[in-house]
Amino acid sequence: MATDVEEWKAEVYGTDIREHVERFAEEGWASIPDEERDAWFERFKWYGLYHQRAGQESYFMMRIGTPGGVLEPGQLRVVGEVAKEYATGPVSNPEFGDAWADFTTRQSIQLHWIKVEDIVDVWDELESAGLSTVQACGDSWRNIVSCPVAGKDANEHVDALATVHEFQREFKENDRYRNMPRKWKVAVTGCREGCGQGDINDLAFEPASKDGVDGYNVRVGGGLARNEPRLARDIDVFVPHERAAAVADGMSALFEEYGNREDRYSARIKFLVDEWGAEKVRRVLEEEFVDFELQSAGEGFRESYSYNAGRDGDGHDDHVGVHSQADGTNYVGLNVLVGRMGVDDVLELADLADEYGSGEVRLTQRQNVVVTDVPDEDLDDLLAADLLDDYEPDPSPFMRGSIACTGTEFCSLSIVETKNRMVRYARHLRDTVSLPDEVEDFHVHLSGCTASCAQPQIADVSLRGMKTRKDGEPVEAFDLGLGGGLGENPRFADWVGERIPADEVPGAIANLVETYEREREGAETFRDFVERHDESDLEDLVEPEETSYEDPMMHNTKRTWYPYAEDDDMAASPAPTDGDGVPLDAATGDDSAPADD
Amino acid sequence: MKVNAYTTLDLVDCRVRTADDEAAGLGVANATSARENPEHVRLRFEADGQPEGVAAHVDELELDPEQARALAADLESHAAKVEAARSGEHGD
Ligand code: HEM
Ligand code: SF4
Repeated sequence: MATDVEEWKAEVYGTDIREHVERFAEEGWASIPDEERDAWFERFKWYGLYHQRAGQESYFMMRIGTPGGVLEPGQLRVVGEVAKEYATGPVSNPEFGDAWADFTTRQSIQLHWIKVEDIVDVWDELESAGLSTVQACGDSWRNIVSCPVAGKDANEHVDALATVHEFQREFKENDRYRNMPRKWKVAVTGCREGCGQGDINDLAFEPASKDGVDGYNVRVGGGLARNEPRLARDIDVFVPHERAAAVADGMSALFEEYGNREDRYSARIKFLVDEWGAEKVRRVLEEEFVDFELQSAGEGFRESYSYNAGRDGDGHDDHVGVHSQADGTNYVGLNVLVGRMGVDDVLELADLADEYGSGEVRLTQRQNVVVTDVPDEDLDDLLAADLLDDYEPDPSPFMRGSIACTGTEFCSLSIVETKNRMVRYARHLRDTVSLPDEVEDFHVHLSGCTASCAQPQIADVSLRGMKTRKDGEPVEAFDLGLGGGLGENPRFADWVGERIPADEVPGAIANLVETYEREREGAETFRDFVERHDESDLEDLVEPEETSYEDPMMHNTKRTWYPYAEDDDMAASPAPTDGDGVPLDAATGDDSAPADD
Repeated sequence: MKVNAYTTLDLVDCRVRTADDEAAGLGVANATSARENPEHVRLRFEADGQPEGVAAHVDELELDPEQARALAADLESHAAKVEAARSGEHGD
């Protein structure tokens, strides 16, 4: 028998959802019947809307998908304007103010505190700029990720952006794949550095050549979730650039046909690949889902992959800094700590991109932004702009390497505070811990639960939310992993430190760095250093310790209605509220109105 | 085990014993049933630390509804007993 979610999807799904959202927007939050909320919120995900967690009822997170992370000239400004007008909650965030935009690990944008009453207005503004929230969440083709500088990079092998645009047209702006068994994450890489991160996606196109033809090798079945991470498996297929869509189509159809709809838990292609093996995936793809003979894999570039790799070498680990484009101009990568940018800064960035570049801005999978098309003669002026004091092109490794997911601030699955904590960690580490001079990259990825949205398993230091007891009291804590990274030989971290109280994590990292500095051999990177040790040695290297770092969020933030509210008690929540943010008093019924109305 | 805000106990004191050794520490416990057509209640437990010679593992009970209720009832009654004893200690 099909699951609830499958039944809800069978009733109303895809673009049919829109007219209902329009009705709810018109009639207000209270018009969504209580007993239908679960079903509607599940369907809303297809349109990029997630209902926020308990204590924040009637507020939504909205995800805007930007294919390949590309924001065309003018689009970032609209994002900033929409965020400023609509993405404000009842209480501000102490680090980021009243409104902000989140740039995510899948090159998307997330806004919070959106009211159902405003959704249609927000869509109108976004759509007028060519932006879309369609299929940003839910069981569908998710935002297609790629090298953020595809089509610009001086050393690119194939133009991944052309492929991304083709996929976008064929599979997202099209009802064919509007209803998959589960989410479907696709990555297209065209460069020699591996910055599409295909290894952790359901379907990966990797740059390759065969018999003088440029195109992609195909890998299938990667992903980080459920505490069962998998690397995408090589299915020994090369496809020419212009035929990539036929293979993407075939793999999507294969997943649609054989993906397990009975059990959402196992309905990811990674488990199908486990079960079948790569050879059978290839055979079934060829026999049933494409109408040409598949070629065996071509010559790829994996040995030069440097992105998020933690190895020594020429390629870059991220896109921060000034780099040359093929057309003689430059792109400038700016570090956005934990991917969150206050709205005024977003608008200022849009101005700078207009003034010194083409107006285009791109988002990376490391939660950073890239201003493209900056001519040599404008570089110094851009680099001298005040905004770059906060979003640096040349930051401390700890600032640059930090990634954090949403956490207890908005996410119902989280057991710890994440983004603001990672901001505090990064600043503390920058100010108190020194790395060897030539080390530019030190990645710390922090996730609030095992869903792994911050990609913790592929960092130098992996942090995953937990609980522990300290001085008798339950406190927020982290499991700590070491040894993860992508590159030619990707590996997931081993979880070698358990339940470290959140206020002792910076001390644990400082001690790790100190040991590394003392014991490294030559120019060994941290990842190489870690790989030289076995698991029990690594356990001994993890020495949690209190330091001058103080953590104001040690208590159980998942039980607050909002961790940063002065009165954070669940009972003090103003939610649900009406379209103007006025609490709807459940006791007086749905049609209650402010007294002066 | 996956651990998130829906996990029943993300923090529980526990002890794992073998004939020769014992590890005391913290663990995770979760009571669930399959999302669709559940056939039994699943009670899972995983300890952080293990005694000598025991590999990291998860223990799982498959309880039919009657067994789950029997367990819940016993837990309730012992919880009441412990609470009563505690209030006796402190209240005077
Ligand atoms: C209400 C629940 C959830 C929320 C609010 C949420 C939020 C997010 C966010 C914010 C990101 C981007 C991370 C960033 O850059 O900030 C993300 C990506 C991701 N999400 Fe979730 N998430 C939720 C549930 C889940 C669940 C249940 C899973 C696993 C089944 C999951 C797996 C992932 C993974 C693996 C990524 C990142 C890696 C990738 O893109 O492959 N998330 N999610
Ligand atoms: S990793 Fe967990 S806590 Fe963080 S956003 Fe994803 S689901 Fe939420």
